[in-house]
Amino acid sequence: MLGRMEGDYDVVVVGGGPAGLAAAIGARDAGAARVLVVDREDEAGGILLQCIHAGFGLHYFQEELTGPEYAERFVARALDRDIDVVCSAYVSGAGLDSDGTRRVRVMREGHGIRTARSRAMVLAMGCRERTRGAVHIPGTRPAGVLTAGLAQRFVNVMGLLPGRRVAILGSGDIGLIMARRLTLEGCEVVGVFELMPFSNGLTRNVVQCLRDFGIPLHLSTTVVEIHGRDRVEKITVAPVGADLAPDLARRWQVPCDTLLLSIGLVPENELSQALGVELDVVTQGPRVSSTLETSLPGVFACGNVLHVHDLCDYVTEEALLAGRFAGELAGGVKRPRDNIRVVPGDNVRYCVPHTLAPGREHTVYLRCQRPLRPAAIRVGDLVRRKLGFVTPAEMITFRIKPDVLDRFHGEARRIDLLGEPAGAHLAGAEP
Amino acid sequence: MSPVTTTLTCIACPIGCALRLTHEGRDIVELAGATCDRGAKYAAEELVDPRRQLSTTVAVEGARVRRLPVKATRPVPRDRVLEAVARIHRLRVRAPVRSGQVLVEDLLGEPGLAVVATRSLGRVGP
Ligand SMILES: Cc1cc2nc3c(=O)[nH]c(=O)nc-3n(C[C@H](O)[C@H](O)[C@H](O)COP(=O)(O)OP(=O)(O)OC[C@H]3O[C@@H](n4cnc5c(N)ncnc54)[C@H](O)[C@@H]3O)c2cc1C
Ligand code: SF4
Repeated sequence: MLGRMEGDYDVVVVGGGPAGLAAAIGARDAGAARVLVVDREDEAGGILLQCIHAGFGLHYFQEELTGPEYAERFVARALDRDIDVVCSAYVSGAGLDSDGTRRVRVMREGHGIRTARSRAMVLAMGCRERTRGAVHIPGTRPAGVLTAGLAQRFVNVMGLLPGRRVAILGSGDIGLIMARRLTLEGCEVVGVFELMPFSNGLTRNVVQCLRDFGIPLHLSTTVVEIHGRDRVEKITVAPVGADLAPDLARRWQVPCDTLLLSIGLVPENELSQALGVELDVVTQGPRVSSTLETSLPGVFACGNVLHVHDLCDYVTEEALLAGRFAGELAGGVKRPRDNIRVVPGDNVRYCVPHTLAPGREHTVYLRCQRPLRPAAIRVGDLVRRKLGFVTPAEMITFRIKPDVLDRFHGEARRIDLLGEPAGAHLAGAEP
Repeated sequence: MSPVTTTLTCIACPIGCALRLTHEGRDIVELAGATCDRGAKYAAEELVDPRRQLSTTVAVEGARVRRLPVKATRPVPRDRVLEAVARIHRLRVRAPVRSGQVLVEDLLGEPGLAVVATRSLGRVGP
């Protein structure tokens, strides 16, 4: 029920975005009677509420929905299942009782601080965007430098335009989508500047968000200085070499009043760290077992807090599983510990989960380091499967059948991505 | 009419093949660069009737937020996207509004091309 929080819970979910809502549903469907979702915003739905473009739900609903539509369906499903959802409430920590239950501390607007006892907890706090400090752009500190996702919220929810002449650093999907969005709102988008020789966004977004509107994409180029006293007046950009160092001799200036940053997302794990959850240095999210349980027993993680996903449908799929395992644990189901370690090998940036158990089917999510085509995935020396094309912008989902794990010996499985390097065929300007 | 050559990036899958198509008016004479059949289908659509999905926001009064997200129920001709947006941005909506509620019935004069709300917003205040 919306706004109700009372008594003890089987599962408490931190975060009410697509991950948190799906985890709650997964837990309920696995038999957990009392499930609570806590979100700090005044409404559940997470980042989806500001992602007004279509592209959600093709996998899960076989229908292309916008972010708010996808969120609304999940909120309705959660409420139908009698899940308690409280908003404007912040989970600031959790203690552990001697019997293994957690006391989750919830600070709630108008209600003060309360504690909810729960057998299991699911972390679904999402991620935040990297800011100017993360990439150390020299120059002044004027107004008008903000992340693309913040601009998205300004425009799509609050009805505010961040500026009139906009440059974008980074070609992640959020930046590309904002290039189109701001163009439709009457702004001039002067260019997208990407450090790497390939776009970090989907081809479809490069074509439909930039080329359709004649917005240039400058690959292997970065912003080397921001100018302006009170407000951004212009930026200096320069091409970069193979070592990614800017070639200042070839720099040029771009007049603009706003610089949007679309330079990556970081899982939001302050709470996880405060709880003592062990993090992976690459994903910057918790290390998890095949049941998506963190290093703390009874604490699970899913969605962007675990690793940054590009597709919301995968978040949902993963979160339903995390919720199911949390619900089962709350119901007393005990599982043997995993005994197979997953080791990222050639051209693999990371794999999630970090360990596997024999006898079950697993979904392993991984990301490559460089684009490859044709590509193949190799697990140990037994499985090899063609993948076609892989790029860092797209997460790879790989299912491992139980019999495959049973055929291996030893305690670690190395996963490699093999193939021919794929070129930067997707430049901004038409060839 | 003499043949013209255009280049396109196929977006039917993430590979993004560079397609080079030679066409006379709306007839494709030759297509190079496609690695699979979907590329040919995409090229034909882009040539004859390129369309784009469209979503934006409109002003809403009496709700907790100031913008209501909306979408066109079918793809809009690519070359008329800005025109369609200008029409949609003239809308003023008063809460309450339900997701799926029709706000415009025939956008650009195309029967069946509607604009609908993509979010439900309850009424707050007077
Ligand atoms: C700006 C942006 C744009 C995106 N655009 C797209 C897109 O176009 N298409 C797509 O498929 N994917 C997109 N994604 C990714 C997609 O939105 C995510 O995959 C999905 O929303 C992740 O879901 P989540 O539930 O993990 O996180 P979120 O949606 O971020 O939800 C996390 C929730 O947890 C809450 N929270 C955090 N900490 C606490 C706490 N301590 N106490 C209480 N509540 C807390 C937050 O307020 C938030 O509501 C985008 C992501 C971002 C950041
Ligand atoms: S032609 Fe085929 S392989 Fe190439 S981008 Fe299009 S769908 Fe993909």
